Amino acid sequence: MKFSFLALVAMIICSSCLKQSIPDAMLASKSGGKGRVTATMSYKISGNPVSISVSDADNQPPDSYPHLYCRKNQSYYTFEAVGSTGEITFTFLTDSLTVGRYPYAISMYDTFVTEYNGVNEYVYAPSDSITVNVTSFTKGHISGDFSAVLTPLIMPGNVDVFGVPSSVPITNGSFKDVPVLY
Amino acid sequence: MHFDSSVEKRQTTAMNKRTIATSLLIFFFTQANAQLGVMRLVGNGTKDYKLGYGAFIKTGIPVSPGNDATVEIGADVFPLDDTYGTIMCPLKAGYRYTLDGSGKGFYVEPQVGFDIYGVTSLQDKNGGDVNLKYHGVIFAAGTGYLFSISDVSFDVNLRYETVIAHGGSNNLISLGISKGFSFGRRDSNY
Repeated sequence: MKFSFLALVAMIICSSCLKQSIPDAMLASKSGGKGRVTATMSYKISGNPVSISVSDADNQPPDSYPHLYCRKNQSYYTFEAVGSTGEITFTFLTDSLTVGRYPYAISMYDTFVTEYNGVNEYVYAPSDSITVNVTSFTKGHISGDFSAVLTPLIMPGNVDVFGVPSSVPITNGSFKDVPVLY
Repeated sequence: MHFDSSVEKRQTTAMNKRTIATSLLIFFFTQANAQLGVMRLVGNGTKDYKLGYGAFIKTGIPVSPGNDATVEIGADVFPLDDTYGTIMCPLKAGYRYTLDGSGKGFYVEPQVGFDIYGVTSLQDKNGGDVNLKYHGVIFAAGTGYLFSISDVSFDVNLRYETVIAHGGSNNLISLGISKGFSFGRRDSNY
């Protein structure tokens, strides 16, 4: 009896040493068992480097600063990133995101892509484009690369005035472990 | 022919299960104590929880003059706020050992069991509702005091309990009081 009781007390003490509560452990495993995931993104816009990093990316509030996530909408996904130099966003025109290449060129409307140091850059001219390549989509996180050629919006107004077409290149774009929120 | 015998076998098995379940229920409700408790979740990730409460039915089967094998089933509720919180339904077996061997007074009681239903409802940081459902193994160790007032038995007890599941544990401390409504127990009627 004495031995059994001591053994039980030892088991309780050992199990209490588990570092997480059950809900925390389950939430951690939902995020791919990686624990806290850091989402990162980097690119060069007109040769100027930009990088965004969000720690504990699975638990970022929607409008927090900085933020970096991909959100599922009804029939498309919106990729959003906000950092110290501005924001970048693009849309995956699919209702089921998978690994693959997602090109986007001009359509009926000018499409906002990024703001860099106060200037908004659009897919506007016929020669503008943005291409996102999702190279992995595992356990709710996407990684990949992207590039774009954009036109700056110089003077917004009733009639927007754009700058030199396709004069803003985005190169060396990459993102890693960006959570897909539903 | 084979079909008929297999149907008969299934019916017999189902009847046996029902008989066992009914017997257990009758045993529980004729030998049980009702218990209320206040409890507190302790450990990592529990600081936002308010004081919890629980209700239990517990029965003891005498195995020697001063000691009982015990079976307990209950429900614990730990509110986070008006909407969210944790609920656990433990089913435990234990051994209640009175220190002076009389079946009264101070006792210690180790327990093991299973969380037959556990759910934690919370809001994630994206504003979405999350319901996490789980089962788990339970280890508990408690101590208490058995006494009577006007032939009504009471049990005041303090227990530490841990539920283990999914690589984590919910740990709680419980202070409870139980009142006996048993019918066929030993003379001490605890």
